[in-house]
Amino acid sequence: MTGAGTPLLEISGLSVEFAGGGRTARVLNDVALVVAANETLGIVGESGCGKSMTALAILRLVPSPPGRITGGRIVFEGEDLLQAPEQRLRDVRGHRIGMIFQEPMTSLNPVLTIGDQLSETLIKHLKLDSRAARARSIELLKAVGIPAPERRVDEYPHQLSGGMRQRVMIAMAIGCEPRLLIADEPTTALDVTVQAQIFELLRELRARSGMGLILITHDMGVIAEMTDRVAVMYGGRVVEEAPTADILSAPAHPYTRGLIACVPDLDAEEVSGGDLLEIAGMVPSVWDLPKGCPFADRCAEAMPRCVAEMPPATVLAAGHRVACWLHEGAES
Amino acid sequence: MSAPLLSVRDLEVHFARPHFNPLKPRETVRAVDGVSFDVGKGTTLGIVGESGSGKTTVARGLLRLVPVTSGRIVLGGTDITALRGEEMRHMRRHMQYVFQDPYSSLNPRVRAGAIVRSPLDVLGIGTPAEREARVSELFAAVGLRPESQGLFPHQFSGGQRQRLNIARALAPAPDLLVCDEPVSALDVAIRAQILNLLQQLKRRLGITYLFISHDMAVVKHVADEVAVMYLGQIVERAPRSAFFARPLHPYSVALMSAVPTVRGGRERAERRIRLTGDPPSPINPPPGCRFAARCPVAEPACRQTMPELRELVPGQWVRCHRVEAVGAAIRRPLR
Repeated sequence: MTGAGTPLLEISGLSVEFAGGGRTARVLNDVALVVAANETLGIVGESGCGKSMTALAILRLVPSPPGRITGGRIVFEGEDLLQAPEQRLRDVRGHRIGMIFQEPMTSLNPVLTIGDQLSETLIKHLKLDSRAARARSIELLKAVGIPAPERRVDEYPHQLSGGMRQRVMIAMAIGCEPRLLIADEPTTALDVTVQAQIFELLRELRARSGMGLILITHDMGVIAEMTDRVAVMYGGRVVEEAPTADILSAPAHPYTRGLIACVPDLDAEEVSGGDLLEIAGMVPSVWDLPKGCPFADRCAEAMPRCVAEMPPATVLAAGHRVACWLHEGAES
Repeated sequence: MSAPLLSVRDLEVHFARPHFNPLKPRETVRAVDGVSFDVGKGTTLGIVGESGSGKTTVARGLLRLVPVTSGRIVLGGTDITALRGEEMRHMRRHMQYVFQDPYSSLNPRVRAGAIVRSPLDVLGIGTPAEREARVSELFAAVGLRPESQGLFPHQFSGGQRQRLNIARALAPAPDLLVCDEPVSALDVAIRAQILNLLQQLKRRLGITYLFISHDMAVVKHVADEVAVMYLGQIVERAPRSAFFARPLHPYSVALMSAVPTVRGGRERAERRIRLTGDPPSPINPPPGCRFAARCPVAEPACRQTMPELRELVPGQWVRCHRVEAVGAAIRRPLR
């Protein structure tokens, strides 16, 4: 099944608010995303743009209080997770939807062996007995490319390198053969040669199981290499969404263009010590988001209207939408 | 190349491991193991490598923030290897350090103006009035508003904090600025601002940089010369354009190939050279080439004898048995 029929995950109108000091901050605003089986969706943006919050909201893990999902639908395999009872969600988390976090160092329990931690989800969700869970744990460690899994299964996290620990995290996430895997900056803490190994593993696993993958990153190179479609987030909103090839060849939002251009390019012809394109300023605080476009104060092409009014989404081409006044009336 | 401002020969920084069993031999971490390079005045040497390669220890050794085991460090014609105490402290006026983490490298209880002024106070440079004037000048030079001198570090963003770090390092007007991953902890969009600032300062003040990074693309952007480190040693050293046009060492080739790029996309990932495993431990490393265990083109001889760092093309040095000069041509084992 390649995107035919109903999508695996469909998010619409998702809003999350945080309350504190008598004020509320809208950290996610009308977020809409779709992921099909056997597809990789990239979510890209700076920190504080709502990427990780979107991932947490999908699993209803928004810390509450102070956070609260105030609206929207998260339909996973035909079921709205926002309406589902908590008991049902426990069955979804770590079973139907797997998650890999950014920090492999802090996401593993230091006082339990790798095997204990892997077995826990298998016993809970797949109702395996401890002997079967251990055998399956060894298989999983083997599947993610850990040498001597029979020995490693009895070791503790501190005995493994960073890359190995991230492999263990992946093994835990895929243990119950999830239909959707959410990977939040899975390689940020790792060296590039190890990053390359982890990405290859994720590509392989996706091809083998046909699961959907959401990959959160800030690196446009990773987007180019790993994803089929991209959502660019800024100020808690999806400001542009398109097939990866389209967004890289014809980025429409000034923020997307900035993200591509502000990073030194290894493929560039000989550089002359020239300056990089800068995105001036910084991400706005969620506590005082402007009422217009959140990017307006950093945008070189901002017009008076941008500050006053949030632009609606404009569809530029099949599957390519952008929220920017520059493209008003460019509807295809 | 102009006369070198900094000249390092056979630098070694070894650490003794704490040991608990008196019957076992004491283990040594060979963090930096025979590193030599020159940095020309007003140029940038980029040191690139993965975690554990020893690049940060080289920098810390130069400033003698860690004890140097052996080797020679000459800065501006003065041999600083043997300097101690007060003499060394004054030598630090000529070389300053910009740390990676803009959060932990600033004292949270000290106001921004005083942070930037502190090297002048410590080294006793200028009168109090001159110091104040210098601080204002530095705030302007790094693009911070003068009125922000009264603020505390937490009132600044990550990018602004790194500007504070740079201003503090520039305060005593050093000749050499050692930047250790100065943009790694910053958000992508902020990195460009800081890299541009460092480039502007170089053009304006003629500062010499030792720029340490794990990011090949950043090094390509800022460096005039590149040194690649692996497990405590330099495995390749070359001018920027020669290096990026044709890296010679298999590790350099693999490291470059591992970087995902916007233009390369999926095809680049498919052509990628796969390195298996992690770098080995710098505790009692193997006798031969340190990269041999992960090298896709290693031969039995590579595991036996350590290759020398050889100048195969004028200016381009490589530590590999398998790279050969055949007449005027260079034969690379991996490309």
